[in-house]
Amino acid sequence: MAHIIEMQDVCKSFGHTQVLHNIDFAIEEGEVVVIIGPSGSGKSTLIRCINCLEMISSGTLIVDSIRIPEERKRIREIRLEVGMVFQQFNLFPHLTALENVAFGPLKSRGMKKKEAVDIAADLLAKVGLSTFQDKLPGQLSGGQQQRVAIARALAVNPKVMLFDEPTSALDPEMIGEVLDVMKSIAHQSGMTMAVVTHEMGFASQVGDRLIFMDDGRIVEEGKPSEVMKNPRSERLRDFLGHVKHH
Amino acid sequence: MGFEFSVITDSIPALLAGAKLTWIITLLGIFGGMIFGILAGLGRLAGSEYLGETPHNRLSKGVATFIRYLSGGYVETIRGTPIIVQAMFIYFAFPMLVKALTDIERFRIEALTAAVITIVINAGAYIAEIVRGSVMSVNKGQIEAGLSLGISRFQLIAHIIGPIAFRRMIPPLGNQFIISLKDTSLFIVIGVGELTRQGQEIMASNFRALEIWLTVAIMYLIMTTVLAMSLRTIERKMKIF
Repeated sequence: MAHIIEMQDVCKSFGHTQVLHNIDFAIEEGEVVVIIGPSGSGKSTLIRCINCLEMISSGTLIVDSIRIPEERKRIREIRLEVGMVFQQFNLFPHLTALENVAFGPLKSRGMKKKEAVDIAADLLAKVGLSTFQDKLPGQLSGGQQQRVAIARALAVNPKVMLFDEPTSALDPEMIGEVLDVMKSIAHQSGMTMAVVTHEMGFASQVGDRLIFMDDGRIVEEGKPSEVMKNPRSERLRDFLGHVKHH
Repeated sequence: MGFEFSVITDSIPALLAGAKLTWIITLLGIFGGMIFGILAGLGRLAGSEYLGETPHNRLSKGVATFIRYLSGGYVETIRGTPIIVQAMFIYFAFPMLVKALTDIERFRIEALTAAVITIVINAGAYIAEIVRGSVMSVNKGQIEAGLSLGISRFQLIAHIIGPIAFRRMIPPLGNQFIISLKDTSLFIVIGVGELTRQGQEIMASNFRALEIWLTVAIMYLIMTTVLAMSLRTIERKMKIF
């Protein structure tokens, strides 16, 4: 299978602090990769580099055959193919749920209003929020906001979806509804996904591959159930002892 | 010489004519001031992450620095000099400057035009700082969410940063609009027949200071109240987020 995302010897530094050390890694089309690791291990930075919210300091990033840094003028094309869901939802507070979801198709894909609204209404129905389409983000619960945010990212029709700790800011009773939506995206549409999370249950049920990061390096990777059952490194054993199992 | 109500009724037509002029200078001034202010406020943030600029995809460094210095220089110059000096400069000094530098012999700026220009550039400098502060207060996450959808820098500013920041600009804009309206009273020095000037002229002919200045004050109060209430209405309509 073709690699839709590839990183070759990627390093990333913020000032004098190096957060990613010589990362080599690839994601195949249709693959669900779950990235775990302690805080500060560089997992968020890793996926933020994929859609160029952070620019890699050295090495090569290839997304859908666009090469960074050589083709940095084409970053917008990358972002059209790579949707992102954030820990803090980051919905546009002045737009309704429907307008939030229609925003991408309308502005970045340049669709007609009617077309964009139809797509948005469909996606809101898929995430179970049809009756909330005229609500503003401030009138929705955290779980509902995150589901709108997922619909907003999907609306641009990306080939890859990045999830940056999508359930970490949620109350426990809302985590399930968001994970369910993510599972259905993985299973029904065969979406390529990279998910940074602490939800080990989700990782083993949905993940095709689990990556454990520590100190800016990929320490272990493999099938989620195997990696979790037989951690080879001390650090992963430690980490797994600390995270809850759902 | 008690309080004579007839003095007020007699002076009202002239004062209303002055108030009308005050109103015109203010409205044109703050309209132009908004344009100057938005341009200079965004200009001071050129090339920064507040406008979604990321190190790899920013305006060429030289251009961004030039825009920042130009906007900054404008704001600091205007904030650092009295508005009355600015009015004098535009009305009296600027035409001389033009004459000195060019062959144009009879260059003049109308007093009313000079008044409007003064409010435009003066209010613009203060509004620039209001714009800058509000734009800087927009959550970085919302900017990243916009960028991650693949929209252009212009779309990001027009559809995300702009509307979110505008809501936060309204209270300080109210301040500035009211200050600008009251600043028009200073144009008495360049002979614009606005409200204060009309009051002064009537007073000079009948010496009824109490009646005249009381009426003038109430007229200003009515105008500033209208400004404040219009902004409150806009604010309330946008209150929901």
